[in-house]
Amino acid sequence: MNSTGRKYREERIKNSGNDIAVAIKSVSKKYRIHHEKIPSLKQTIIKLKRTTYEEFLALDNVSFSVKHGETYGIVGPNGSGKSTLLKLMAKIILPTSGEVIINGPLSALLELGAGFHPDLTGRENIYINAAILGMKKKDVDGKLNDIIEFSELERFIDTPVKNYSSGMYMRLGFSVAINVNPDILLVDEVLAVGDQAFQSKCYKVIYDFMKMGKTIIIVSHDLETISDLCSRVIFLKDGKLIDMGKPLDIVAKYRAYIEELEKKRIIEQQRAERKKIFKTVIEGNRKVVDGEEISRLSNLSIDGETINRFGSGDAEISSIGLLDKSGREISYCNYGDEVKVVYKVLFKEKVKGPIFGIRITDYRGNIIYGTNSRLKNIRTGLFKKGDEVTVAFSFKITLIGGEYSVSPAVGYNDNKTYCDWVNDMFTINVIHRNVAEGLADLNPTVSVEKSVFKK
Amino acid sequence: MFSGIKTLFSYRELLFSLTKKELKVKYRGSALGFFWSLLNPILTMLVYSFVFSIVLRAGIKEFAIFLICVLLPFNFLSNSVNYGTSSIIANSNLVNKIYFPREIIPLSIVLANLFNFLLELSALFIVLGIMGYRFYLYLYLLPVVIFIQFFLVVGMTLLVSALNVFFRDLQHLITIVMMVWFFGTPIIYPLSMVPERFQFIIKINPMTIFATYYRNIFYYVKYPEGAGFPSALETLTALGITLLIFFVGYFVFKRLEFRFAEEI
Repeated sequence: MNSTGRKYREERIKNSGNDIAVAIKSVSKKYRIHHEKIPSLKQTIIKLKRTTYEEFLALDNVSFSVKHGETYGIVGPNGSGKSTLLKLMAKIILPTSGEVIINGPLSALLELGAGFHPDLTGRENIYINAAILGMKKKDVDGKLNDIIEFSELERFIDTPVKNYSSGMYMRLGFSVAINVNPDILLVDEVLAVGDQAFQSKCYKVIYDFMKMGKTIIIVSHDLETISDLCSRVIFLKDGKLIDMGKPLDIVAKYRAYIEELEKKRIIEQQRAERKKIFKTVIEGNRKVVDGEEISRLSNLSIDGETINRFGSGDAEISSIGLLDKSGREISYCNYGDEVKVVYKVLFKEKVKGPIFGIRITDYRGNIIYGTNSRLKNIRTGLFKKGDEVTVAFSFKITLIGGEYSVSPAVGYNDNKTYCDWVNDMFTINVIHRNVAEGLADLNPTVSVEKSVFKK
Repeated sequence: MFSGIKTLFSYRELLFSLTKKELKVKYRGSALGFFWSLLNPILTMLVYSFVFSIVLRAGIKEFAIFLICVLLPFNFLSNSVNYGTSSIIANSNLVNKIYFPREIIPLSIVLANLFNFLLELSALFIVLGIMGYRFYLYLYLLPVVIFIQFFLVVGMTLLVSALNVFFRDLQHLITIVMMVWFFGTPIIYPLSMVPERFQFIIKINPMTIFATYYRNIFYYVKYPEGAGFPSALETLTALGITLLIFFVGYFVFKRLEFRFAEEI
C-alpha cells in the first residue's frame, strides 16, 4: 500500500489550479517472461529447478502529460507498449520505475463487457458491469432505460447474454461503459463496435464527451479515427516514445513507418517464395543441361543476394540501364516518356537461338509486364563464345508512379531453361503527377452529366 | 489498512453485486435452486449418521444433529476456501482489464457462502425447534462466534486466492489441506474422545474452539453429557490465531495484488 502510493498517485481535483489530468513521469515497465509455465510450488520450495525468465522492457522511460479536456491518441505497431501504457494509467499494473499521476475519476474501456456472465440476462449484467466500472446502483437505476435504448437490445434484454451475438454483446458493453461518465476516459480499440449505424452513434458519444470537456486517451490502429478525434498524438515504438505532436504530422510519420515495414515484409515474403520457385527452375535446368556446371552463376552475387541469379552461365548478363529517347542514361523517368531498357550479354559458350526477355514487377512482387524476343517473333540466330550482344526493349512508360524492378534473362530456345536470369537487377523510378491508383493506367476520359427527367 | 478498508467501503456496491452474481449463477438453471445447497449437507449428514450410528455404533445420541451443527460452519470455511482458491484466475478478464480493489473477488465468494450458511442455519433452527432442542438458550453467542469465524474464513480465502495466482498447483494441495482440517476438527467425533496428549494439537486449531461453541449452543442443550464451553484462554488463543491468519492473509494479498494482472 505504501509502495503503491509512491508509484501511483490519485488526486481528486481539489486544487483547481492543476490542469494536468494525466502525468506520466519517466515511466518504465519491465515484464518477466517465464520460459516455463507458471512455476510450481514444489519447484519454488525445493529450488531444485530455478525457473528461468527473460526481462522484457515494455515501456522505456516514457514521459508526457495530458491536460484536462484534451483528446490524446496513441499509435504504434503491435507490441510497442500502447496497451501497457493504458493499463498503467488504469492502475491495473504498476510501473517498474517512474510515476503515474491521475487527477480525477478515471474509467478505462479496455474491454467491453468485461465480467459479463453468460448465464445472466442482459439486464442483470448491466448492473454487474456498471458496478465493476464504479457506478452506484441508484445511478444505474436512473440510466437503465438510456443504456438499454442505446444498445438497441430492448427485445433481448431479459435473455441470458450467452445467447447474444458477439455484436450484441459488444453493444451492450459499450452502452454500459459510456454511461459511467468519468472525467478521464481511456479507450483501447473498442470504437469498432457493431454496424455502421451503431459506430456513428459511438463516435457521437465520444464527440459529446469531448464537448463536455472530458479528457480522452485513445489507442487505435484506425488512423482515420485518431486524426479525426485527437488534439495530440503520441507515437510509441518498442516501448519508447518516438514522437509526439499534431495528429496529422504524427499519423503521417506512423503511416510512413508502417508502409516501410509492410514493404520490407512483402519483399521478404516474395524472396522466400522466389527462392522456392528458383529451386524448382534450377533443378529443371539441371536435368536439361546435364553435365554442365550450371550452378556457377548462382554463386555469383549481386548486392550479396545469391538467390537473385541463376542459370547455366553459357551467357552472362553483364550490365543493365535505362536510356531516354536520345540515348542518355537516366535514373528516373516521367510518366509517358519514351524509354529503353538496355542490357548487355556476353556469351561464354556456343548458344543456338537464345531468347532474351525482361520482366517488370512492382515492389510487392506483382508482375506488371513481361515479354521476350520469341513472343515478339524475333529470331536471334547462333552466338559463339565471346560474342557480346546488346538487348534493348523500347516502350512508352504508362506505369503509375512508383518503383519498379526489372529482371532481365537469357534463355535457351527450349523456352524452359536459362543461361542467366538476374532477378530485380535494376530499378525504374517513375514519376507520375496525375493522381491515380492501382497497377495499370487505363487513361480514361471522365464525364459527368446531369440526367434530365420529364414530368 | 484503514485506507484499504475505506476504499473497500466505497466499492461496497460492487462487492454486493458480485456476491449476488455468485449466488444467482450458482442456482440459475437448476429447478431446485437454493435447495441444492441444503441437499449437500443433508446427504453428508445421512451418510455419516449411517456410518457412525448404525455401522460403528459410536453411541452418540441424535448423531445427525451432533454432526450438522458443526458441519455447516465447517462447510462455510471449506467452500469459501475451495471456491476462493481459483477465484482470481477465474476472473482474469476482470483483473486484466479493470481496476477495483482485488480483494472484492475472494470476498464476494466468502459473502456468498456466508449467505448460504445463514440460510442453512435458519433451516436448522426449524428442525431443532421441531425436535425439541432449546437452541435459543445460548443463541446470543452465535453471532459472536460467526463473526469471529468470518475473519478466519476471509483470511484463509485471501491468502490462498493470492498465492494460487503464483503457484497454480496450490489448488490441488488445498483440497488435501481441507480434508486434513476436516478430520482435525471435532466434527464427526466429540472433542472428549480425543486422547489427552493430542488435545493440545487439536485445540490449536481455531475451528475446534468454534466447533465446541457451535455444539454447546445447538446440541448440548438437549444432551448435556460432554457439554462445556471452551475456557477463556482457549477462546483467546483461537481469537489470536484467527486474527493472525486474517492479517497474514490480508497483507499477503495486498502485497501481491498489483502483480496479479501480470501473472494471469
